[in-house]
Amino acid sequence: MAATKTRTSSFSRNLPAASSAQSPEIKCGPNGTFLVSSGIPDLDKTLGGGIPLGSLVMVMEDSEAPHHMLLLRNFMSQGLVHKQPLLYASPSKDPRGFLGTLPSPSSPKDDKSRSHDAEQEKGLRIAWQYKKYFGENQSNLDGQRGMILFRFIVLYNKQEFSNEFDLRRPLDRHFYTGQHVDCISTKDLPNIAALQERCTSFLSQFSRNDATVACTGRIAIQSLCAPQCESSNMEWEMLSFIRSLKSTVRSAIAVAIITFPSSLVSATFCKRWQHLADCLVSVKAIPDEDKELAKLLTGYQDIVGFLNIHRVPRINTQVPAVLEATTLSIKLQKRRYLVLECLNQAPVDGSSGSSYGTSGSCSGASSKSGSLDF
Amino acid sequence: MADSICRTIRDGALEGEHAPSLTIKDTTASPYGFGVFTHVLSQASTLILAGKSQSRGLVVVAYSRSPSFYLDFLKRSGVDVASSQKWIHILDCYTDPLGWKHQLADSGILPSNSSAGACLFQDVKDINKLQSLILELGSGLVGQGKVRFSVAIDSVTEMLRHVPLSKVAALISDLRSHDQISSIFWLLHSDIHDVRVTTSLEYLSSMVASVESLNQSSDGLSGDLGNLSLLEQNFRRGKFHVRFKRRNGRVRVMNEQFHMEESGIKFTSVTVEDGLVSQGLVPKVLFNLELSEKEKLERARVVLPFEHQGNGKPIQIYDGRRSLAPESMGEVSADTSQSSTEECSNGGGEIIYFRDSDDERPDSDEDPDDDLDI
Repeated sequence: MAATKTRTSSFSRNLPAASSAQSPEIKCGPNGTFLVSSGIPDLDKTLGGGIPLGSLVMVMEDSEAPHHMLLLRNFMSQGLVHKQPLLYASPSKDPRGFLGTLPSPSSPKDDKSRSHDAEQEKGLRIAWQYKKYFGENQSNLDGQRGMILFRFIVLYNKQEFSNEFDLRRPLDRHFYTGQHVDCISTKDLPNIAALQERCTSFLSQFSRNDATVACTGRIAIQSLCAPQCESSNMEWEMLSFIRSLKSTVRSAIAVAIITFPSSLVSATFCKRWQHLADCLVSVKAIPDEDKELAKLLTGYQDIVGFLNIHRVPRINTQVPAVLEATTLSIKLQKRRYLVLECLNQAPVDGSSGSSYGTSGSCSGASSKSGSLDF
Repeated sequence: MADSICRTIRDGALEGEHAPSLTIKDTTASPYGFGVFTHVLSQASTLILAGKSQSRGLVVVAYSRSPSFYLDFLKRSGVDVASSQKWIHILDCYTDPLGWKHQLADSGILPSNSSAGACLFQDVKDINKLQSLILELGSGLVGQGKVRFSVAIDSVTEMLRHVPLSKVAALISDLRSHDQISSIFWLLHSDIHDVRVTTSLEYLSSMVASVESLNQSSDGLSGDLGNLSLLEQNFRRGKFHVRFKRRNGRVRVMNEQFHMEESGIKFTSVTVEDGLVSQGLVPKVLFNLELSEKEKLERARVVLPFEHQGNGKPIQIYDGRRSLAPESMGEVSADTSQSSTEECSNGGGEIIYFRDSDDERPDSDEDPDDDLDI
């Protein structure tokens, strides 16, 4: 399935070799970028299809809740399921033990029922919500022709690009016992240079200039500035580490995600780190049994936390992304599946219930239609 | 809630999870953290002796009080200390933390005296030695294998005098992830340290209990001397505020009041709830269709410019033409001015009503009285 782009200019981009293979794990994004899945379909949708290759995602942790681990787990599992090499760094003594707790893709039976409903729902929507469809599948469309044809191909493909993960089923061992998975413990490293070297050597396998690269690399660094690491005091060194990682990742066919406890980094450095991120999200804990919050939000019982999206990756473009909602609620459906939803605030009700539904505002559609070029 | 804390410590750690850890913090405005610490210590000891808790032994790392103090305190609280060798070990970092007395004794200047029933530790700067000694003492109490023990650190503030934060954090996180540790709790005087220290230790703990003073002003000298006895009384009371990090990522917040007495600390529940927590988390709602009680009352009080008020009073015809009032409608105007003053006194809201028929000349063909429903 080649992307039938209607060329508006004679300039043609030098696409990396991976695109010609058209593997399901990489999808074409807007502005000549390629996207990989974050492991959470709802997050992919909010970010515009997925995480662009070469971007650095930073997650600001809340010291009171482990929600960043949910994001990390899904990200790592998605990479392992697609057999992408992974480098994982964490402050615990035995990072490899964590791999045993990664979630497994949910069984096809559950998957099918979900996407089947989605198809049915979307099937109804084609008839009258024409514009909204453009917004959702923007990445696959540069023109209006062949839109409906693409639609079904995208849905078919979607199952492979991004999986639903069942947090209660651990990943099969064969996914992470290969050579392509590397783990580092950041706890006893005397300084950050050792971590930097490992990252650089890992990323050298994915250089864009190399035509033989077959897959994307993923780097996951957990709790970069945790207090038990010796290097947490050296703020300038950590800053230069993040900067060099960002530049190396940008020129590689890879994606990196770093989580850090924002309350433990001094305010000025926290701001600097935030500026370095291509994609910045933060997670927040919510109080338990809070009557005020229960009155304000519907579905409060299922919500475990909030996810705030501060910055969406915009590579190769100056057009800013206008999100419909920057605060999403993190829910665990049946305590197994991670779902991100727009907040339902009383008294506004109903239409923004599921992750498929949008708030139905015309402003959303019009901002997205601006990126179509005729 | 002190009971909930003790229950969590009693329940201990689950397989594969970090052990629950408690930070007790206080300030000079309300310096009763040690009272809370000893309370938790005596409760934990009682439960260990009764066999009701997961842990079977307790290691106390004593920096700010001597071991004999703890044994006396436990005896006074009704805990059986005769068999103390079997379930408690007190690591004495109080008598001779840096080994000076030992050196002086060696050179013959001071007579050496050994403390019984406790293990003397003379090298507080060596955190690795401390850690291995804690583990050794603990497994000495409970034996090798699956049985667990608890650790209580008298004062992390004292520990931080000798050892940098990253090492203390490393010690705590190692202990938390150790198979044989059931729970850990420690005391911290938060105003002595940088904010970073306090937040790092809170990051590592699953429960944070803070002892705060009742009166908000930090300056103890506010208030006249006549109220000195009241101030003194209030000084012995305070607020006990606990934040629990639950497994699902939510935070439970609890509040109590405590009262410091000769025999120890007493907790009482408090009924006032704080509803301000949720306001910072949820994005602002655009409009609010709900009315508060106060608003409902005020709405009921507004006098509407209808002819029928429905409350049995004689019909008053509000005539917008007040300027003509004195000669033709003397009584009515007096009534209307009364009602208008009533309106004004009812919360300052006014409904200014201009009847369409006001535009007409008074001597027009139509009789405005025809439209009235009397």
